[in-house]
Amino acid sequence: MKETVWVIVPVLIPVIMGIFLLFMKPSKSRKTLLWITAAGLFVTAGLVGYVLSLGDAGYTLFYLTDTLPVFFRVDSVSRLFVSVVTFIWICSGLYAFEYMKHEENNKRYFGFYLLVYGILVGLDFSGNLVTFYMFYELMTLLSMPLVLHNRSHEAVMAGLKYLFYSFFGAYMVLFGIYFIYHYANTMSFTAGGVFDAAVLAENRSLLLAAAFLMLIGFGVKAGMFPLHAWLPTAHPVAPAPASAALSGIIVKGGVLGIVRVVFYIFGADFLKGTWVQTVWMTLALLTVFMGSMLAFLEKGFKKRLAYSTVSQISYILFGLSVLQPVAVTGALLHVVFHAIIKCTLFLCAGAVIYQTGKTKVEELSGIGKQMPVTIWCYTFVSLALIGIPPTSGFVSKWYLATGALQSGTGIFTWLGPVVLLLSALLTAGYLLPVTVKGFLPGNDFDYVSLQKREANGWMLMPILLLTICAVALGMFPNSLAEFFAAFVPQLM
Amino acid sequence: MNPMMMLVVILLPILGGALVPVLPFQKRVYRNLYVEALVLLNSILVFALLWNRPIEALDVVRFTGNWTISLRVDGMSMVFGSLIAFLWPLATLYSFEYMKHEQREKTFFMFYTMTYGVTLGIALAEDMLTMYFFYELLTLVTLPLVLHTLTREAVLAARKYLYYSLGGAAFAFIGLIFTMVYGNTLNFTLGGVMNAAKIGDRTNILLLVYVFAFFGFGVKAAICPFNSWLPQAGVAPTPVTALLHAVAVVKAGAFSIIRLTFYCFGTEFLRGTWAQGVVMIATIFTIVYGCSRAVKETHIKRRLAYSTISNLSYILFGVTIMTPLGLTGALTHMVFHAFMKIGAFFCAGAIMYKTGRHYVHELDGLGRKMPKVFVIFTVSALALMGVPGLAGFISKWNLAQAAVESKHVLSYIGIGALLISALLTATYMLNIVVRAFFPKAGFDYETIADAEDPNWLMLLPLTVFALVIIVFGLHSAPVTAFLQEVAAGIY
Repeated sequence: MKETVWVIVPVLIPVIMGIFLLFMKPSKSRKTLLWITAAGLFVTAGLVGYVLSLGDAGYTLFYLTDTLPVFFRVDSVSRLFVSVVTFIWICSGLYAFEYMKHEENNKRYFGFYLLVYGILVGLDFSGNLVTFYMFYELMTLLSMPLVLHNRSHEAVMAGLKYLFYSFFGAYMVLFGIYFIYHYANTMSFTAGGVFDAAVLAENRSLLLAAAFLMLIGFGVKAGMFPLHAWLPTAHPVAPAPASAALSGIIVKGGVLGIVRVVFYIFGADFLKGTWVQTVWMTLALLTVFMGSMLAFLEKGFKKRLAYSTVSQISYILFGLSVLQPVAVTGALLHVVFHAIIKCTLFLCAGAVIYQTGKTKVEELSGIGKQMPVTIWCYTFVSLALIGIPPTSGFVSKWYLATGALQSGTGIFTWLGPVVLLLSALLTAGYLLPVTVKGFLPGNDFDYVSLQKREANGWMLMPILLLTICAVALGMFPNSLAEFFAAFVPQLM
Repeated sequence: MNPMMMLVVILLPILGGALVPVLPFQKRVYRNLYVEALVLLNSILVFALLWNRPIEALDVVRFTGNWTISLRVDGMSMVFGSLIAFLWPLATLYSFEYMKHEQREKTFFMFYTMTYGVTLGIALAEDMLTMYFFYELLTLVTLPLVLHTLTREAVLAARKYLYYSLGGAAFAFIGLIFTMVYGNTLNFTLGGVMNAAKIGDRTNILLLVYVFAFFGFGVKAAICPFNSWLPQAGVAPTPVTALLHAVAVVKAGAFSIIRLTFYCFGTEFLRGTWAQGVVMIATIFTIVYGCSRAVKETHIKRRLAYSTISNLSYILFGVTIMTPLGLTGALTHMVFHAFMKIGAFFCAGAIMYKTGRHYVHELDGLGRKMPKVFVIFTVSALALMGVPGLAGFISKWNLAQAAVESKHVLSYIGIGALLISALLTATYMLNIVVRAFFPKAGFDYETIADAEDPNWLMLLPLTVFALVIIVFGLHSAPVTAFLQEVAAGIY
């Protein structure tokens, strides 16, 4: 490992710029604000790219107590997550330049937006559990202002709900961390786990309980049943670009936590075949189905997408829970694809709201005639999310299903793929009506008063870019697959 | 340093304080200067004393046999004494500004300063009897402070405070007598003074006495079910609530319990007995109970008082683990909580002083008008929740590590209680922060047009507290190492 201070620079720069924005005089023009934000986003992205090019880099910042270092390390999982974060953050940030025109207090929005970006980079670069936990808490706290941005009663309540659910989860995690610290050799993430086999055997039931609590705890952020209820409340009330970032990225913080704890702290072997794994698989599948079902029944456009997130993140969790290399590859692929797809979906929903003010699915008949580009993009990424070849969602689901079939987890070997398929059908059921009604509103539709209301370039560019990625990554998944093949087998 | 110095630092504030109403000050400024100079001088003396401590003890009065009033500096005295000495001058500074809108400032400063000396007496006591003496004195000298506003509410609160404290002290007295009869000496000795030969088969009686004494001293530390005086005593002026009812008085209770557990009965004797179970359950219950009440309470100061109840039981929980690591955790939280809570209380006081608002639902939008106060309040709120990077995380970490290490099932439950309490803390503290910074849409800032940050007398202590919280949170190794040595009995 190469010790270099560059690792923390992309964490600090957006944080500093974010704080600067928050304390900037409100009298400054909106243009200045946007220039600073854009500079913050791109400079950080450049720095992230530079750090990734350094290879196996790390840095110990300081010690919280004599044995708790704040330690950063860039490994393969960090690379994956930080790339996704950067890509989505820039797309959603540029989109917000236009979208936030119709919201108040842009300064606060962009200030916190940059702050959270820095925190997320820190989260991805965290090299040990305590550092990770620190950034995890900060992520919750600092993303809350994005949720309650418009300060309506509903939004503030949703913000508080988000906060309390998240902290509830975080404290369950902390409970586990206390025990890990006592029994483990180190808190630094090590592929394959950090425990001595003898210690694991001796304190098996205690440590299993700790692992379980941590799974549920991180599962809160990832919207896993039974603590998913905050997600459909909090995501839709935020401004659309924030919803996109929350649903695409912040929930992945929980996924990253689970990856770290399962594969880098306890080790997959320890959990394989235990009650923890069984419960985890059950909860994940339950959430997959439940999320889709609720999305199918939901009328609000953005809320429907939020339920969809609940379901899709549990695809990822299920892929991780079978503890089998192919399925884990599928899960991590789905991290990438879902981030891109869900971000696009929310940005499309935001464009519709921005241009027409319509928020319910049933009001959207004829929308395709008004905003053809947006709805075409919506349709492509919907197909990707359903998993129709050759789009990206197909690839990840293929890996997930094959992995589950090879995993030898008893009933789950076939139950998993069945539930995933069923949920894919429901996904089609809740996403495609917008397209169908949008382009084919029926005979009694009033074509005369129809106006073109396409969103402008600032909003369309990110949507188009994301859509192209969502489709193209499905056609050319080889480089990604090679990237995974290099490190996933070492985790098992 | 000369052992006589121990007596000096106790008597100086007591006598100097008593002179406040007598001396003919021309102006308020002169009186303030006198008080601040007195307190600051005393604090300097205390630090000089504690860090060049005299080895031998000082017998002030010898009644008969081993009944003495005697003073000595050991590790525990250093911790508690330094804490008090650091906070007192800052709190005094704050009071100058705050007390402008209260009546009878002279009386206030008299008793406020005298309390300083009495609290130091508890810190420096060499044996149980001396500590008991100062403990009773503390009740009496702080009573006028609770009574200060002389409203009906204040009188009721003061009466309750008196009855609770004296009642508690009576139970503590039983502990004192039994220590004298069954122990080798009354002097505090790490590891306990109990004499197994004298005890014989009366173990259970002694354990019962320990439980009595624990709850007796626990009254001041506001352990459930003896907590109700504390929120009620919140009618006192804020400097009193902040310094005395979040630090000096209540931590004197916790301090006495540490003395009782580690230095009188001894952990060897107590660990693994039913008595440990009883007191531990009481602390775990209080941790959750205090927080739950804080969530329901809408008066800012009372909410913080309930939070104090819960946090004091964090300290007591560390004590009841009855291991050196547990004591380290308890001491860490004793020190760190002092800064976090006094910071929060002073912010609340500044809000009340500047806006006259006392209830949580009146705080909408104040964050923009009083940014400094609310930023500092946020820091202390996050620290109380235990966000990493701030002091509260470290002290909870130490407590939890002690609990994990003890492998006692009850202490595992205790960790759960700590975390539930952290969640509730998030609820009742962040509720205020969110209100202040993010008022509901359509909020009219004209209604709070005259609110503003207070002057430097109030801001200086607040800033110092916030800095301490952050510094300890980021770099706690020296403090923790020192406290570990204290718990191991090196000093």
